Amino acid sequence: MSEGEMAKLMEEVEEKKKLIATIRNKPWRMKRRLTHLKESQQFVDKFEGALGKGKGRKWYAYKVMMKKKWIKFQRDFENFRTACIPWERKIKEVESHFGSSVASYFIFLRWMYGMNLVLFGFTFGLVVIPEVLMGLPYGSIPRKTVPRAEQDTAQDYSVLMDFNGYCKYSVLFYGFYNNQRTIGLLKFRLPLSYLMVGIGSFGYSLMVVIRTMAKNADVGGGDGEDGEFTFAWKMFTSWDYLIGNAETADNKYASITTSFKESIVDEQENQKDENIHLRRFLRVLANVMIICSLGGSGYLIYFVVKRSQEFASRDDLSWYEKNELEIIMSLLGLVCPPLFETIAELEEYHPRIALKWQLGRIFALFLGNLYTFLFALFDEVNTKLEEEDSIRNASLWAMKEYYANFTLNPNDTEATPPPMDPSDVIRGPCWETAVGIEFVKLTVSDIQVTYLTILIGDFARAVIVRFLNYCWCWDLEAGFPSYGEFDISGNVLGLVFNQGMIWMGAFYAPGLVGINVLRLLSSMYYQCWAVMATNVPHERVFKASKSNNFYMGLLLLILFLSLLPVVYTIMTLPPSFDCGPFSGKPKMFDVIMETIDLDLPAFLGTLFSYAANPGLIIPAVLLMVLAIYYLNSVSEAYQNANMELKKKMQMARDEEKNRRNNTDSTNQVMKDLEDLLPNRSLAPPAPEHEKEEPPSKPTKVKPGAAGKNVNLQKDVALASPNPTQPNPHARGPVNRPPGPRGPGPMPGPRGHPAGPGPGGRGRGRPGPPPPQ
Amino acid sequence: MGSRASTLLREEEIEEIKKETGFSHSQITRLYSRFSSLDKGENGTLSREDFQRIPELAINPLGDRIINAFFPEGEDQVNFRGFMRTLAHFRPIEDNEKNKDHSASEPLNSRTNKLLFAFRLYDLDRDDKISRDELLQVLRMMVGVNISDEQLGSIADRTIQEADQNGDSAISFNEFIKVLEKVDVEQKMSIRFLH
Repeated sequence: MSEGEMAKLMEEVEEKKKLIATIRNKPWRMKRRLTHLKESQQFVDKFEGALGKGKGRKWYAYKVMMKKKWIKFQRDFENFRTACIPWERKIKEVESHFGSSVASYFIFLRWMYGMNLVLFGFTFGLVVIPEVLMGLPYGSIPRKTVPRAEQDTAQDYSVLMDFNGYCKYSVLFYGFYNNQRTIGLLKFRLPLSYLMVGIGSFGYSLMVVIRTMAKNADVGGGDGEDGEFTFAWKMFTSWDYLIGNAETADNKYASITTSFKESIVDEQENQKDENIHLRRFLRVLANVMIICSLGGSGYLIYFVVKRSQEFASRDDLSWYEKNELEIIMSLLGLVCPPLFETIAELEEYHPRIALKWQLGRIFALFLGNLYTFLFALFDEVNTKLEEEDSIRNASLWAMKEYYANFTLNPNDTEATPPPMDPSDVIRGPCWETAVGIEFVKLTVSDIQVTYLTILIGDFARAVIVRFLNYCWCWDLEAGFPSYGEFDISGNVLGLVFNQGMIWMGAFYAPGLVGINVLRLLSSMYYQCWAVMATNVPHERVFKASKSNNFYMGLLLLILFLSLLPVVYTIMTLPPSFDCGPFSGKPKMFDVIMETIDLDLPAFLGTLFSYAANPGLIIPAVLLMVLAIYYLNSVSEAYQNANMELKKKMQMARDEEKNRRNNTDSTNQVMKDLEDLLPNRSLAPPAPEHEKEEPPSKPTKVKPGAAGKNVNLQKDVALASPNPTQPNPHARGPVNRPPGPRGPGPMPGPRGHPAGPGPGGRGRGRPGPPPPQ
Repeated sequence: MGSRASTLLREEEIEEIKKETGFSHSQITRLYSRFSSLDKGENGTLSREDFQRIPELAINPLGDRIINAFFPEGEDQVNFRGFMRTLAHFRPIEDNEKNKDHSASEPLNSRTNKLLFAFRLYDLDRDDKISRDELLQVLRMMVGVNISDEQLGSIADRTIQEADQNGDSAISFNEFIKVLEKVDVEQKMSIRFLH
């Protein structure tokens, strides 16, 4: 509390105390005295403590101290929370040297790391740990043991690298998990948990992506958007005066430089005047070329897939024919993006927009990649399913044989035969584990390719350019190879597609999420180092768009695309008969049915069966569609209202600017205008208006024009203390003949204090004396 | 006793400073302890070297100019009164002051006076105008050699073009106020006494 306020408070408390002391002498009714007494006593009690006197002061002082401590604690906690954000300094360094667009990639990477960490927590805590702690150990049941045929090679490095051998029969993959309904002392329902975690990961990812999109879509409402004083603000207000660290100061210098360069690029874009028709033609041409190349690559992929299917049936394949698919896919991935970039130079977009187009095109290309992968995978699954039937019969037959042979032992005719050694049992093909292995292999090879590309494409290139420059004919740094620029679109798309693979594969390989977390963590450090050490900033540094929603949009699309195969397999394909937590059930989601039947009370079961009725689901879907439509139109209405308000604010500001700058001229114009108006009969009262108006301001309330009148006078007082100013507007209403009122008093002769009163009267004001 | 006595703050002085600058008693004592900690020579005044010991001022591109603003014309030492007089520009504007109508003399920490302080940092020759050359000097200090000279020239020209209203190719104080109209100067140019 400031000292002025303290003094005021002291006065008031003194007054109240005086009142309390003299209340007996006041000629009031008892009731009134009592209320005043109570009020004054409460006031004194409350605030005397604040002044350091009276009974309440200790409690008040204590309260104030606690409040201060609480505010300080909140501030410290906020500081701590901000300090806990990982890698903030690294990203700021990258941002100040390379611009906000490159930094946006790293911010995206960090966000992905957070999301994957949460997914890892779910999977690890709810699926892997229970199985490891409470489930049966390795080697106890067939699905957890390496089959005898493979046991010699199970520890070989090459086999492990292929994720066979001991890797295949470990917690990493689907096949390890047992299908016991409850395990351990806690009766933990593992199969149910497995299914729920799988579906929950998708749900969580969806929620997080949409929430981030919604947060980013907060259009900064306001009037600072028109970019009136961009350069002036950058010049006068860009330094942060609270920086005390030399390194931070260097970063700040770099970021100011980058920010100026970005603004220069933006300016250049705005000022380009060009031939619109030529530009449009070039853009159409570029798009046609790109669509042709996309179509060509699509056909090539289809052709190669068909060939690989033929090859699958043959045995005498050369190395090229065996790996043709992967080679063609990698070649496409290496050749097409630079091709798109070169073609895109025809279009001459702003770099930010060009980046978005590039992302979209490479995305379309990679979708073809995804298509072949899934196609191949489904082929494999189908063959395995066919195999399964025959193997299941074979293994049952083998079991029967084993027991039949055993009972031939004459001594122990009643003892039960020991179970067959787990490694001898004939194993089914377990398609889910095979799918999981495919995904893990893909992810690992993706990691290797990325790291190698950075090492060779960026690091080796930088080393060569730097050291070979001394003995080379032309300037390597300025000329052909030079240092690389950070490839934003390639990296972002790599990240997005990688996440799609993880989402698809996490259901079949719970360990995949853990591998991804490690990958993102190492990638952050590795790429930060590579950027700072081997890359140069783009020639045209551009500001990233304010919202990161473009990346989020791509992520959302991939999320949906990866949701579909998993849901399809859960719903339609039968699980393997001898591996995984759902073995033995006709469909995977039967676990839920089982749980509802056995664990939940009966009425819930009937409730669910009613809820699953199509007659209920279809109206629910319709309702949701209607809700979406309604919310959409409401949001559009808000946006329109927003626009209108902004326009109004702008108009009001312009008006005030005009008024302030051109006070004289508007006065003159208005004066002349008034001179031209007819009905100058009311001119004589004008001087009286001037004298009478100021003292009677509070009573001059006019319906309709009231608000405007009062406002204008206030505004005008700010703009110019011109006494004649109120007249043009005040005169208006007065000019109206006092028609509606019978007696029709004139303002002047009546000597009425309110000038424009006769034109219309204030509400609730006692009228003039009737004209008797 | 002895050498410290002359540097202790007396009640009358605090009252005078309070009247002149508007700081409260506790704020003045706190600023006095900061003054004493900067005053390594313990003679009751600060020199330019004392200011340059502050890291935030040392790495600031405009650091020297800010330090100059503390010292009155031609002098090399500033005492506590002078120190407070300059710092008075950075007193936070309190809510009940915002609505006071304009009295005869504006307090030192009004928005206009804060902006005047900032303006004087750029306008070195005190001709009440920021000319193109002065802008170029500031740009060179802020950006250094990373941007070419012609680009710096265009940035300076563009800045003047954005701000200039009366066409004299320089930024006057009123134009400066207009440029920073939407910037929250009251909050940014204020010491935050955290308590």
